[in-house]
Amino acid sequence: MRKLKRVFTYAFLVSAAFVSIFPFLWMIVSATNKSVEVTKGRLLPGSHLLDNFRKLAESTDLWTSLWNSAKISVLTTILAIVIASLAGYGFEIFRSRAKDIVFSILLLSMMIPFAALMIPLYRMFANISGNLPAIGIDTMASVMLPTITTAFLIFFFRQNSKMFPKDMVEAGRIDGLSELGIFLKIFMPTMKTTYAAAGIITFMSSWNNYLWPLIVLQSPEQKTIPLLISNLGSGYSPDYGLIMLAIVIATLPTALVFFLMQKHFVAGMMGSVK
Amino acid sequence: MLTMKADRTGLSIRAKSNLTGWSFILIAVVMIATFYFYPMVQALILSFKTGTGSNLTYTGGSNYVRLLSDKTFLTALSNTFIYLIIQVPIMILLALFISVLLNDSKLKFRGFFRTAIFLPCVTSLVAYSVVFKYLFAADGLVNSLLMKLSIIQEPIQWITDPFWAKITIIFAITWRWTGYNMIFYLSALQNIDSSIYEAARIDGASSFKQFTKITVPMLKPIILFTSITSTIGTLQLFDEVMNITKGGPGNATLSISQYIYNLSFKYTADFGYAATVSYSIVVIIVLLSILQFKVAGDKK
Amino acid sequence: MKKVLALFLSCMVLLAGCSSVGGGKEPAASGGNSGSGDSGSKAEEITIWAWDPAFNIAALNIAKEAYSKKNPDAKINIVEFAQADIIQKLNTGLNSGTTKGLPNIVLIEDYRAQGFLQSYPDAFYDLSGKVRSEDFADYKIGPTSLNGKQYGVPFDSGVTGMYVRKDYIEQAGYTLDDLKNIDWKQYIEIGKVVKEKTGKDIITLDPNDLGIIRMMIQSGGSWYLAEDGKTPDLADNAALKEAFELYKEMMEANVVKVNADWSQFIANINNGDVATVPTGNWITPSVKAEASQAGQWAILPIPKLPQTPNSVHATNLGGSSWYVMNIPGAETAADFLDETFGSDVEMYQNLLTNVGAIGTLKAAASGEAYAKPDDFFGGQQVVNDFAAWTAEIPKVNYGISTYAIEDILIVEMQNYLNGKGIDQALSDAQAQAEAQVK
Repeated sequence: MRKLKRVFTYAFLVSAAFVSIFPFLWMIVSATNKSVEVTKGRLLPGSHLLDNFRKLAESTDLWTSLWNSAKISVLTTILAIVIASLAGYGFEIFRSRAKDIVFSILLLSMMIPFAALMIPLYRMFANISGNLPAIGIDTMASVMLPTITTAFLIFFFRQNSKMFPKDMVEAGRIDGLSELGIFLKIFMPTMKTTYAAAGIITFMSSWNNYLWPLIVLQSPEQKTIPLLISNLGSGYSPDYGLIMLAIVIATLPTALVFFLMQKHFVAGMMGSVK
Repeated sequence: MLTMKADRTGLSIRAKSNLTGWSFILIAVVMIATFYFYPMVQALILSFKTGTGSNLTYTGGSNYVRLLSDKTFLTALSNTFIYLIIQVPIMILLALFISVLLNDSKLKFRGFFRTAIFLPCVTSLVAYSVVFKYLFAADGLVNSLLMKLSIIQEPIQWITDPFWAKITIIFAITWRWTGYNMIFYLSALQNIDSSIYEAARIDGASSFKQFTKITVPMLKPIILFTSITSTIGTLQLFDEVMNITKGGPGNATLSISQYIYNLSFKYTADFGYAATVSYSIVVIIVLLSILQFKVAGDKK
Repeated sequence: MKKVLALFLSCMVLLAGCSSVGGGKEPAASGGNSGSGDSGSKAEEITIWAWDPAFNIAALNIAKEAYSKKNPDAKINIVEFAQADIIQKLNTGLNSGTTKGLPNIVLIEDYRAQGFLQSYPDAFYDLSGKVRSEDFADYKIGPTSLNGKQYGVPFDSGVTGMYVRKDYIEQAGYTLDDLKNIDWKQYIEIGKVVKEKTGKDIITLDPNDLGIIRMMIQSGGSWYLAEDGKTPDLADNAALKEAFELYKEMMEANVVKVNADWSQFIANINNGDVATVPTGNWITPSVKAEASQAGQWAILPIPKLPQTPNSVHATNLGGSSWYVMNIPGAETAADFLDETFGSDVEMYQNLLTNVGAIGTLKAAASGEAYAKPDDFFGGQQVVNDFAAWTAEIPKVNYGISTYAIEDILIVEMQNYLNGKGIDQALSDAQAQAEAQVK
């Protein structure tokens, strides 16, 4: 019975992993093929990887865009998880009726499609461009500001704070720690896996963010990776080998971030902290 | 529970801690008010205007009247609900199931499995839509496999048949977002003390019992979180539909968000009406979220 | 955990630092609009948005080079965005009532041009004095002008041809002459024979893209909208009805290979899955991408509608034109267009040779580059043929809502294919279009 269960577990996970990973592998294989071969659906690796790479590096600002995306995503992720975890913790640990109402109102901001906010937001940034060019349109700050704080992440931290043992807060108070001290020295280390998950998700959505950067960025030297990829596919005769290579390069950082972070997901972590 | 404790420690401390509480959430509230609520109010005003491009004039509630008789909107609405009702529960259960399997510390290659199952949500949509269309083409891999296994006789028109196209979209969303939801469960599972499971095992509880009696209740806040965010995600569904079927055949797979996009950019821009459609989503999501909070009994 | 706080603070500082660097770059980057205001001066910097690196951007680079020879001080920034991205940026920018961040020159697809010109009446610069509309192919003037004023400089021709696989046709017992100057009815009949003899479909179509319907009706001088460019003309449109019937006949004859998107469309061509491809001339590079099929292809005139009396063997699919935005720098931008795409015959030869772009400037429609035989197409002088057909394209008014109406028609086409009556389908489409297009 035990053994059967094991076999089932592995069979299930292997097939789930295969289904999940197949398009990813196809993408890598396609990056080594010519455009014609890609559209024909060739499943074998070819010999055009270097060729595609040379064309990609020559015809686009690949490195600039990667650097821009990296700067924006890393900064956004760090700021986002700090701000959201402070708020999520605040809402749960210092729970009050008024705060619950504020929280429900904040949740409203998740519910509107971003397309509806775009024009007012753009107008806002265009208007401040004159006085504060540092955060006006076509700057890194303008890309980041609206995406740093999301109700989504606050909600996530709040729900996780519900699982955080309140006795530990009390213990901290008795030890004479300040409220911020309790947050920094007890909550943060205990909730490492929550931070890891939040970090992965925020990095990913920031790295892949497309619509807002597209609207607010103007100059080629500010472009991020998703904008670069969008350009590649836009012609009458797109080069699919090149596009696939660009996508592979664009996907690797997030995959890597995940791979590095996921080792924090180890059962029983919580026990060892205590 | 917490307020009870605060009561015990006296009023002045309670007031102080309340103030500290507000300072914890201050930055977030200011940021969201500036970058979400201010534009949301503007969008609400816009939803009472009509006209193309920059020729906008106030027309009262005429956009909202139009909404009710707009066939395309009603099609998009019913499509979106079909996605919601079928897809969200399947995905949540699947993600939960996989997370529990992967949480087993005796499992080998856990890192590989986790990364593999997470990969779909980072795989670029461009690549993934091309692959999906290959796999699900009339003469694609999926059909030839099903025919070889004699499960079907005729090839299924996965993308060009109104019924099957919806199924394909549901596959696509589930494929892409299961790994994403898995992360939330995996991280939350770490916060459950493993000694609880050990105690249950000593008491002879089966794995199924452990799952329903320990895992699910402990994960309740996160299950609520994922079901609300997935509901929102599905109601705002855009990428999959845009990239795989473009809403077709006919409008068989059109989603509300794609309709908003079409109204704003594909057709001659009518941002007023697009804002009206957006607010219809807000209303629906608010109602559904209240329902979900109630069902989950969060107030306790 | 103090480290975390320190990291957080340093991020804040870094953010402020980075953004001020970005801000410093801003005036130069967004070009003329934030410039000094002396819009008459030729030394001004202008920004141009376009899509497709292999086509429009390459053409712009040639134009920039030609212009810079005569105006060495000119600074021209060419910025590449995908077409859909340009539409989103333009709409957002123009709707938010600020000219900040707009380009001086922008490329707009002809089908969408009237939508922009009519929705944002003051946003585009009147080129009437600079661009002579009679210099360009007739059919390009409809989309690029409004109320007698010329706003656009017509660019590439979307003239269509029927790309034919000679080997398949011959295998089915035909010669190329049998397919020359035929109508769509004959085309379907030939398709049935080809399918029977070779197993290949005659055409590949995407049910979500009614490009073929657009080609058919424009060949008969008809469009989704009446001549005013505003009134939907669907219910009583004889050419449209005929096109719908032909589409259904084609589907039912089982001679269509259905594709789901552009990559599959191209794959079907490259894989040799279809015997003909009736489409715009811009498909040439994609056809040639499969070098092993050299010599097997030929390009014939497009079939015409059998019953619509004035239908011709020439029509259009796609194509776009240049527009100047009404912001500081407009005069320099207009000057740039006038000296390059507006008149430079020699540059057009260069465009054809190096980019493969067929322009619509009449004076440039001949010359050495046009007469060059193309070995891939068995030595056919393909560009000469396309240039000749361009002159014959009927002029129609695309109006403001091509794609909105097309989405309605796509749904009604599905209904019609599933058994709804043709008149009912078209009058239902008419009612929906009238409700939506105002």
